[in-house]
Amino acid sequence: MYRLLFLQFLRSKAVRAGLLLTLLLGGISIGIGHQFLDQKNAAIDEVERYQKQHIERNVELHKDDLGLLMYYLKFAFVNSPASLAGLSVGQSDINPIIQRITIKNLEGQRYDTDLVNPMNLQSGNLDLSFVLIYLFPLLVIVFTFNLLSEETETGTWRLVAVQAPSKRKYLLTKLSVRAVLVYAVLGILLIAAKIVLSIPLDVNFMMVVLLSIVYIAFWFGVCFFVTAFNKGSHFNALLLLSTWLGLLMLLPAGINAYITNRYPIPEALTTMISQRDGYHTKWDMDKTETLKKFYGHYPQFETFGYPTEGFNWTWYYAMQQMGDDDARKDTEALWQKIRKRESVSKRVSAFLPNMHLQLAFNGLAGTGLGEQLDFLEATNAFHEELRLFFYPMVFKEVSGNRVDWTKFTPKYWSQNTEGENPIRYLWPLLSAAFIVMLGCAVVFKRWY
Amino acid sequence: MKKINIGLFGRYFLKNVMQTKVVYVLWGIFTLLTVYAAVSGIHNYEEQNTIRKEHQRKARQSWEANPDKHPHRMAHFGSFAFRLKQPLSMFDYGIESFTGNAIFLEAHRQNSVNFSDAGFSTGTLRFGELSMAMLLQLVLPLILFFLGFSTIASEKENGTLKILLSQGAGWKEILLGKSLGLFALALLFCTPIALITLFFLFFSETPMDPYDTWGRFLWLLGGYLLFLWILSVMSITVSATARSSKNALLTLLGIWLLMVVLVPKTAQAIGNAVYPTPSKLSFQSAVERDVIKKGDSHDPNDPYFNKLKDSVLAVHKVDSVTQLPFNYGGFVMREGEKTSANLYGKHHDSLLHIYEKQNDLSHYVSVLNPFLAIKTLSMAFAGTDFKGYVDFQRQAETYRYQLAQEMNTLQMDYISTKKISGSEGKQHVVGHEHWEEFPDFNHRALPLQSAFQSTYLALLSLLGWGVFSILGLGYLSKKAKAI
Repeated sequence: MYRLLFLQFLRSKAVRAGLLLTLLLGGISIGIGHQFLDQKNAAIDEVERYQKQHIERNVELHKDDLGLLMYYLKFAFVNSPASLAGLSVGQSDINPIIQRITIKNLEGQRYDTDLVNPMNLQSGNLDLSFVLIYLFPLLVIVFTFNLLSEETETGTWRLVAVQAPSKRKYLLTKLSVRAVLVYAVLGILLIAAKIVLSIPLDVNFMMVVLLSIVYIAFWFGVCFFVTAFNKGSHFNALLLLSTWLGLLMLLPAGINAYITNRYPIPEALTTMISQRDGYHTKWDMDKTETLKKFYGHYPQFETFGYPTEGFNWTWYYAMQQMGDDDARKDTEALWQKIRKRESVSKRVSAFLPNMHLQLAFNGLAGTGLGEQLDFLEATNAFHEELRLFFYPMVFKEVSGNRVDWTKFTPKYWSQNTEGENPIRYLWPLLSAAFIVMLGCAVVFKRWY
Repeated sequence: MKKINIGLFGRYFLKNVMQTKVVYVLWGIFTLLTVYAAVSGIHNYEEQNTIRKEHQRKARQSWEANPDKHPHRMAHFGSFAFRLKQPLSMFDYGIESFTGNAIFLEAHRQNSVNFSDAGFSTGTLRFGELSMAMLLQLVLPLILFFLGFSTIASEKENGTLKILLSQGAGWKEILLGKSLGLFALALLFCTPIALITLFFLFFSETPMDPYDTWGRFLWLLGGYLLFLWILSVMSITVSATARSSKNALLTLLGIWLLMVVLVPKTAQAIGNAVYPTPSKLSFQSAVERDVIKKGDSHDPNDPYFNKLKDSVLAVHKVDSVTQLPFNYGGFVMREGEKTSANLYGKHHDSLLHIYEKQNDLSHYVSVLNPFLAIKTLSMAFAGTDFKGYVDFQRQAETYRYQLAQEMNTLQMDYISTKKISGSEGKQHVVGHEHWEEFPDFNHRALPLQSAFQSTYLALLSLLGWGVFSILGLGYLSKKAKAI
């Protein structure tokens, strides 16, 4: 019986087309994820090589003037992508994973975007997370919209009603045939992704698997709920596709419009101007004044005194420092606003399974906005460390040859995930699935 | 073929649909979405432009507030270019949320355009944006398919079609009449959008060239009308050829999924995968390498600049740069800027070329896919497409170059020939009146004509589909079966 149900189901052209298309696009998406990781890793290898040459060349040119040398030298700080990033590219296509910064004012450097074609951004990444979030619900819809109605429309339902020991059991068996197939496709794609992207079998990947399973169950629930009302096939198809359109496109787009309009970020532009003015206007101001402010920030350097005659590097880097210091208020406002945006969008998305899943995937893969902000904050610390190391040497006018440059290879950053239990991603989705299942159970009991 | 019959079938179709409740519900939902999209579109346009203009003004203020100083300090003080949103972006956001809004312009280096909305967004932006254009491209087709799928198929099923045909009605009249009826319904749905856009353009205080703006509006209107006509014919055709109304609906939904969701995204993703974007570092280091190869103005022993010095000295028949009639430091920087800007331009052009290749696949696909064609057309005529962004970058770079060279010229003309390097202090300075003389950056939108160049394939596609739809109706009217 089970085998026959399978065969009967697989005879439908739409079913086979749906299976094939999902597998095909899933395959493409894994390939794209692989390419994405390859490109990022190649870029990291490149920065390793480049930084060595870059330092050697500039040390050779400017070793006698450490202040000038530090004007040119860039140090790489890398947010190397986890292999899960190939599964959920998230925001890491627009935000650079490599920061190359000098010890000059930081606010002017760290917001630079990566090279990216905006058309690609608009159309979005075709990564496995897209296939999971968008296409699997469609597959579920195609598989189940006529679960019951095809029987009533072809007249077989009466036969079933008479012959089957339990109508409920028959419907559930039919449903399980579909579920087995959909989960088989999911399994194939996840295993393929695991192998191709060499994803480690860790908690994060397990969470991705678990979340996907629950998400698909949610959609099975929605579809079963709709079909159980025993309306016509075309009514079901239409209602389910509209639900899909509403949940996956209209609602997120509406929420996005709300957030964008509710929390505009003029602070970004203000910071950009104030960091420039903070530094550049110091060229025309009293040097002692600037140095005083600088020593106010770093009292430990006051021993370098107040050289005011002509150009000197102590004063120069004090001015650079003022770019950051004078912009501090605006920077803080900017960060507050972005964090606010992030938290609002996370809170809202908890009510929308697909949005929540996307943010959860990004979070697990380290490619979300929150992770990018953490990386930027870590860049801040990295920059400060460089400053504190080089400032005294520059002020003392140490020769460039006396610095051990081999130490200055690119530094890597990785997300500190301690204390963050990934299980927390599961609750909103689990509750959504539970509510839908409950609805199904009620309807099912009443009708059959 | 009788014209009166066509009208009859059209009106009959409309009457039938209007008797159902569902059309009012759909219209209500669609109009609500329209209002939401319009309000957020207009609000976003006005707020963002206020913010950007305000910052352009602020940046200019502090530029002009500079005291007398060495011009090279001003070259580094630099300026900003803020990208203004196009008025019609209230209708179609295009790629504006994905492109940076602000760029810092200074001597020697080309900075990236930063602070895009996408950069500050969580993953939610990637689900799409709710604009009026999106409603027309994504939601309205689905509604039309729904309203049209059963019109002929169900008459086949209940046998009324046979009666109609036997009483002298022609297939052509039926098909054309119903297509026109559905098209009329489509107009009902898109009228609010057209009116809102019309009122916005009419009453908003956007400084614009009326010829240009209204031209854009009319092309958009024409494009969308043609698109809706194609959709109407598509639904009626499928309804006439399908075995049952259920099949008709499923076919139409399949078309929608494939043409609207899957194909555009896959085409762009494949384009991106086949022509990968170089990494930022390899791009920057390639420019750097070329500049060093040509001559590094920051290297005191650079052979290229030493040779340049010798030839300049020879031309002016002096033996030291301090005897030249102009400031030599400014001259070197002028030459250096020329070289580096030139080389950067070359590399940037080849980067853009890669982007264009990535986008090309989508353009080619749009010939077969009217949904993609209208998307391309809509962005281009709204002025929110890739080309507009590239043009903004070009304008900003041109301005940056002029700014740097103007400052270098001031240095050559006004700074003592004895002062070759360094720009500190109050000794060697230029009067601050020169800062005001240099005009502010002013972002100009691309003219309407340029939209035609980037959309000729899309235009061709829509026109082709329009012609094809008429021919198809003719062909179908001879082949269609009543059972």
